[in-house]
Amino acid sequence: MSFLSPLFLLGLGAVAVPLIVHLIQRERKDLIPFPSVMFLQRIPYQSVERRRIHNWWLFLMRVAAMVLIVAAFARPFLTENAVNAAAAVTGARDVVILLDRSASMAYGNHWSRAQDEALQIVRGLGAQDRATLVLFDRGVEEAVRSTSSRGELEVAIGQAAVTSESTRYAPALREAQSLLGRSDRGRREAYLISDFQKSGWERQEDIHLPEGATITPISVAEMETSDLAVTSLSMQRSSFSGQERVVLTAGLTNHSAAAVTNLPVKLEIDGRAIETRPVTLGPHASGAVSFDALTVSETNMRGVIRAGSDAMPKDNDFYFVLSPSRPVSVLVLQGDGGQNSSVYLTTVLGLSKAPPFKADVIPVSRLTDTLLNGRAVVVVNDSTSLSTAGADLLARFVERGGGLFIALGARTPVSGEWPLLPGTLGSPVDRMAVRGGTFGTLDFSHPIFEQFKEQGNGNFANMRFYRYRSLGVGPADRVLAKFDDGATAIAERRVGSGRVIAFTSTIDGSWNDFPTTPMFLPLMHEAVKYLAQYGEVPAWQPVGRMFDISSAVASIVREGGANTTAGAGGGGTGVVVSPSGHQVTLGAGGAPSLELAEQGFYSVRLPGMGDRRPYTVAVNMEPAESDLSALPASEFLSGVTGRPAGTPAGQSLEHPEITPVDVEKKQSLWWFLLAAGLTLLLVEAALANQLSRGKARVA
Amino acid sequence: MESHAIPGARFVDPKVLSRIKDLELLARSVVDGFINGLHRAPYFGASIDFAEHRGYVPGDDIRRVDWRLYARTDRYFVKQYEADTNSNFVVLLDTSKSMGFASNGVSKLEYAKYLAACLAYLSHRQRDRVGITTFDEQVISYVPPSAKHFDVLLHTLDRAKAERPGRLLPMLTNAAEHFKRRSIVALMSDLYEDPEALMDALKPYRFLGNDLVVFHILDPAEIDFPYEDASRFQDLESGEEVPVVPEVFAKQYRKLVEEHINAIRTKCSEARIDYVLLRTSQPLDEALFMYLGNRERLMRTR
Repeated sequence: MSFLSPLFLLGLGAVAVPLIVHLIQRERKDLIPFPSVMFLQRIPYQSVERRRIHNWWLFLMRVAAMVLIVAAFARPFLTENAVNAAAAVTGARDVVILLDRSASMAYGNHWSRAQDEALQIVRGLGAQDRATLVLFDRGVEEAVRSTSSRGELEVAIGQAAVTSESTRYAPALREAQSLLGRSDRGRREAYLISDFQKSGWERQEDIHLPEGATITPISVAEMETSDLAVTSLSMQRSSFSGQERVVLTAGLTNHSAAAVTNLPVKLEIDGRAIETRPVTLGPHASGAVSFDALTVSETNMRGVIRAGSDAMPKDNDFYFVLSPSRPVSVLVLQGDGGQNSSVYLTTVLGLSKAPPFKADVIPVSRLTDTLLNGRAVVVVNDSTSLSTAGADLLARFVERGGGLFIALGARTPVSGEWPLLPGTLGSPVDRMAVRGGTFGTLDFSHPIFEQFKEQGNGNFANMRFYRYRSLGVGPADRVLAKFDDGATAIAERRVGSGRVIAFTSTIDGSWNDFPTTPMFLPLMHEAVKYLAQYGEVPAWQPVGRMFDISSAVASIVREGGANTTAGAGGGGTGVVVSPSGHQVTLGAGGAPSLELAEQGFYSVRLPGMGDRRPYTVAVNMEPAESDLSALPASEFLSGVTGRPAGTPAGQSLEHPEITPVDVEKKQSLWWFLLAAGLTLLLVEAALANQLSRGKARVA
Repeated sequence: MESHAIPGARFVDPKVLSRIKDLELLARSVVDGFINGLHRAPYFGASIDFAEHRGYVPGDDIRRVDWRLYARTDRYFVKQYEADTNSNFVVLLDTSKSMGFASNGVSKLEYAKYLAACLAYLSHRQRDRVGITTFDEQVISYVPPSAKHFDVLLHTLDRAKAERPGRLLPMLTNAAEHFKRRSIVALMSDLYEDPEALMDALKPYRFLGNDLVVFHILDPAEIDFPYEDASRFQDLESGEEVPVVPEVFAKQYRKLVEEHINAIRTKCSEARIDYVLLRTSQPLDEALFMYLGNRERLMRTR
């Protein structure tokens, strides 16, 4: 028991007041005139009678009331030991330990100190206490849920490791809010052990801990930190002697108060040191270093920029993938009789720059497996005949991630081998009588029409379709466009990792004027890009991004790197290997996507790749995680709880960051004491009045 | 009989009567009400009623000779009437400071004044001569008995104030010397004196043939001592202070007062002095009734 204002205890002297009033004041207060004291003088006077306390109950009540009121003014509160002792009697605690394991905790000895603090909290748990260990970075993981087992908690803390993720406090605090909100125990406490990076906390976070729950921030941050980080990389590609060359420029930031002078920055490609450049940076300054141009000869070359080493080595290395920018390869299959039927198509494909398309036209009868290697898209342009073998080749190609565009015309046989056709092919429909049909409805939510969604971004109404093939679209297929009579114009089917689009009219101008309209070029570009699953492949990705594995598989297939179907929708098997060596299986039942949780290189391997380089994704820390500027724990606490800051940082369980004022305010014992004291005085007054009246009646 | 009585005044509390500032009106209200309440007035006849015969002596008015009796007895007798038996009624009123004590609104002096006024009125109605002597440590005013002094008596009563300490015994001794003729003497005091000494001072009145009536007027607080809190009690006359714890003192005090009253009553009885103890809370007619009742009993036994 302690007192916030112990000087008020001097008021305990007031306890003597009732006694003094009784012994002295009471006698002197009245001088009663009396006709004659003749008889009174004859009565022997005994002073002890006057001093005798006749009603002990009243006297004790007065004294107790004085003591209670004085104690209330002294603002008493139970100290931590007393609270713990009380807790042992009244009930146990529910403790949530929020342990920051973000990348920044790898700085110096932050992580080991954080673990020690967590262990200290665990050792301070009582036999009846329960604790939950929550590891957090950008996300939250309940490592141990609500247990009284100290051993289990200690093992979990020991096994926890720093990740490459960035820091976000809000999810962790919400988790604590949820856990403590569900708790039925009287004392609910959360301990947040972190380096309190400013970048991890946003003021607008709406966190409301349950009523009565406390949060204790425990900071392991240091006042002065020194860290240099490689934060970005840019590539400038150029063509030289038929080869592609790239100039790499790395961005660096010095997060320390001291300047960095002539720090060697090394460029490594596939594990080999290519070049080293010195860099000089002022305190809290950023700079860049460029390396000599290098030739990009192969795909998936693994590059690393290394900028020395310091207390936080993770952000000194920057990982990236270097691949040559190759055109999208398109194989156009046309009927034997239609030599010039693909001239419109090849012309518009040849006009594309980003990405460049490389189209080869061959008769459908000459289709071989070899010709499909490295192809991203195959266009079947009003083919007259397709052998069973040819159909199988195309089916496998699509399943592995390839794209197939089928333009249906007069030469396309109804009874042909079209297992990939999205629907059932019917007879030609003649719209000559109405001077040709037009596009009726378009699915602007589909990627090939998406950029034409806005008014003014193209007009599809001017096209005239005199003839087209009817197509009965199956339930699993998707209609992308319809003619004005409701007949299917464009339909899509997903096969394996690939995509098939069927256009029910021709692209040679024989059944329509489509190739001669302005919309032919952009629509074909979008369709081929969509079928090729073309996308800008970033040289690196930040930690925490989701990685769509199907795109990697499609890329491998396009480049001929695999001969077996695999991936999210495929029937084969493949693996994704994380930087730490952890493997994720692809294929049936495998993950369609993967979170890039580690810094370094992720490899995607499919069966049949042989010695080819695996598809690689480079992953780096969020640049903001390198900024170790810490938020004072007190300020953080005030931000979370809404209470004014004023508590020191860096506290532990034995030295809670709650001031005596907070403890006293929380307990508010004074209120009860004051109420009890005043009540006692009222009772005393009533009792005294009653006694007085009783005596008067007797007299 | 003409009556100016206030209906029910005989039962009126002295506190209520104290609102009547006119002492004559007060006395008349009480006494007339008192008399009206009786079935008959057996105590006093008309003043012209025949009383007795006595032998003629030279100087007597020959008109008062009873010639019929002379005819029968051949002796001269003179008729004496009750009117001729009218006596003096004198009030001895103690106005010492202790008489000013009041615990219930009416002080002992006020009560004594009402009582004196009532008795004087009663006497005046039957043509007695009325007089008064007020005193504390010395004689303040002396009104000799006279049939015409009723108004003066009332005026004297009205002026009487309890202002100074009293010396009852010397005053009684001195006053006794003024009574040369038989009188009815009514002493009104709180009698804070030793009973023995008091009787020594009162006995001379009896030797002179006076009828002495002692009205011992006390406040209820003086008898019951209803105090509770320990206090200091101050003597109204001497100013002396005494610490008192009522819880302890009250019982003994009541006993001493009772003994004091009993002693005075006994000694008065032995000396054939009428003694009436009056509380200032008692209705006045009750006091009159007690007094006159006692007197009638005494008259019969004489």
